Amino acid sequence: MEVTDQLGRTVSLESSPQKIISIAPANTEILFALDLADRIVAVTDYCNYPPEAEEKPSVGGFSTPNIEQIVALSPDLVLAAPIHQDQIVPQLEAKGIKVLVMAPRTLDEVVAAITLIGQVAGAESNASALVDSMQKRIKAVTDKTGGLSDGQRPSVLFIVWHDPLMASGLNTFHDELIKKAGGVNMTTGEGYPGINLETVIQADPDVVLAGVGMGAGADAPLVFAREEPRLRDVSARKNNYVFGVDNDTCGRAGPRIVDALEEFARLIHPELFK
Amino acid sequence: MSVLEGAGAQPPVPPHRKTVQSAWAGHLVPWRSRIYAIIALGIALIVIIGIATTIGSVSVPLMDTIRVILNKIPFVHFTPTWPNGTEIIILDIRLPRIIMAGLVGAALGTAGATYQGLFRNPLADPYIIGVSQGASLGAVIGFLLPTSLNLLGVGVIPVFAFIGALLSTGVVYVLARQGKSLPVTTLILAGVALGALLSSVISYLVISSGDKMHSIIFWMMGSFSLSQWSDVWLVIPYMVVGTAVILLYARPLNVMQLDEEQAQQLGINVERLKIVLLAAATLITAAAVSFVGTIGFVGIIIPHAVRLIWGADHRFLLPLSVLSGAIFLILADLLARTVLSPTEVPVGVVTALFGAPFFLYLLRKRKKVIF
Repeated sequence: MEVTDQLGRTVSLESSPQKIISIAPANTEILFALDLADRIVAVTDYCNYPPEAEEKPSVGGFSTPNIEQIVALSPDLVLAAPIHQDQIVPQLEAKGIKVLVMAPRTLDEVVAAITLIGQVAGAESNASALVDSMQKRIKAVTDKTGGLSDGQRPSVLFIVWHDPLMASGLNTFHDELIKKAGGVNMTTGEGYPGINLETVIQADPDVVLAGVGMGAGADAPLVFAREEPRLRDVSARKNNYVFGVDNDTCGRAGPRIVDALEEFARLIHPELFK
Repeated sequence: MSVLEGAGAQPPVPPHRKTVQSAWAGHLVPWRSRIYAIIALGIALIVIIGIATTIGSVSVPLMDTIRVILNKIPFVHFTPTWPNGTEIIILDIRLPRIIMAGLVGAALGTAGATYQGLFRNPLADPYIIGVSQGASLGAVIGFLLPTSLNLLGVGVIPVFAFIGALLSTGVVYVLARQGKSLPVTTLILAGVALGALLSSVISYLVISSGDKMHSIIFWMMGSFSLSQWSDVWLVIPYMVVGTAVILLYARPLNVMQLDEEQAQQLGINVERLKIVLLAAATLITAAAVSFVGTIGFVGIIIPHAVRLIWGADHRFLLPLSVLSGAIFLILADLLARTVLSPTEVPVGVVTALFGAPFFLYLLRKRKKVIF
């Protein structure tokens, strides 16, 4: 079977792989959502969802998986991410291991990644059921937000980190989620540009979202957004529109990206989504 | 002592030490022109603070900027005609940041001149005896702790960086001390060795810091992006006291340029001088880096540039380094915050990128032995 992954690489797979290693948290989430848990032989230290993923053996970090451990498990397939493109993927291929790279940059491409993994693993029906439900939920949100006029779209600042202050700009999941949820992204740079306080004060966002994680201190961006005295006159602060959102949910290219979309929509347009 | 006083005095030149003349006096610059230089740089500093306040990623009309600032003076009142937030941008974002950049630049310039003079080594900079590695290690540990920690109302990172800087310098001092004396070469070598040791610990911690890596690296390159008034008030006492002490010791530093033995014979308590100057220079460097990170290049380039232009007499070198360091870092930060606006460049990148060519230009133009 010839498969083209999301980097355009063509990989020939002999049969439906039974031993799969996921070296990206998003891929792990997709595998579990497609009910392929028993084919997963290993994941990474960062694969924390669903909770059962943490019981799987680990082959190291997300950006630094251990090649030896992967080879020792002799997987039929490794599911990688763009971060592995330059070093990990060539090393694995040189050892005869099949690698597919999932590289979604948009919600549509997340859906495509799920379809692709379903197809490769022989779980097409699970994949199409999951994809259908995701697309229905996306449409339910965009149906309500699609007709909003410019004046009805609040400007939204997504704070990725506070020191240095970094925001989500164009061509990020956060950007697409903000737009689909009926907002306008305040930040216009590409990717995750650094941004300064005076720009934020002038742009005066109506909503501030701050990415928060699970670990100790991982809520620092939210604490900053809520407490930095120099942001006191910003509309979002005056109207109490400063919220924390889970980094894993809204940043991972997995099925939960739709949960994130619904959450963004509730936070940006509470009057439309109750 | 008397031979060292007066306008452009030549130091005594022992026949067996031909390097002394260039080491001490550089080229002779008239005494009066250096006084004028101090006055001119003082005025330039005030003007540059004013100009830097009016420039930023958000454009605020010049008149609004002036009115916002004048409004803070008692009995002056302009009815606000400027958009909401302008006062915060001018008074709470730009001004503290500019003042902080000036203070840090002054501290690094002065500390660099002090270390270079004290060690009689042109490669000395404020970080030579482990201040930056100590501060960085402290800061990295601070980054890896739960950030909810707050010490004495200050974030955990400045406090840890400050403690780290003082601790590592203290360790270097203890290691290098031999009985009652403190050989300068041993001090530098101990500093370099401990620095290498700490660097390897830092590298390991940074590599394993996961998603905090970006912030840590940004801190190490230095930034004023979140400087606020409370930071300024905290560092000012250290800087004023430390700089004042160093300025008071300008004349003994001149004598030290001969060599330690001769300085001793001329009545200088060399060991006490070393301890006092080391303590003062370390204190102002530690205060400088604790809030804004280990900004490179200022501490080594500013004293050399001043020496190239105005000569090596510490009575002028030190105050001119205070002023030039402040001006240089304010301008570097102005570039850092505007050149890719609204994205900020770490100021340490700017200091090297613009400082190095300027310094090389000075070096080529003068073509003189500068140290």
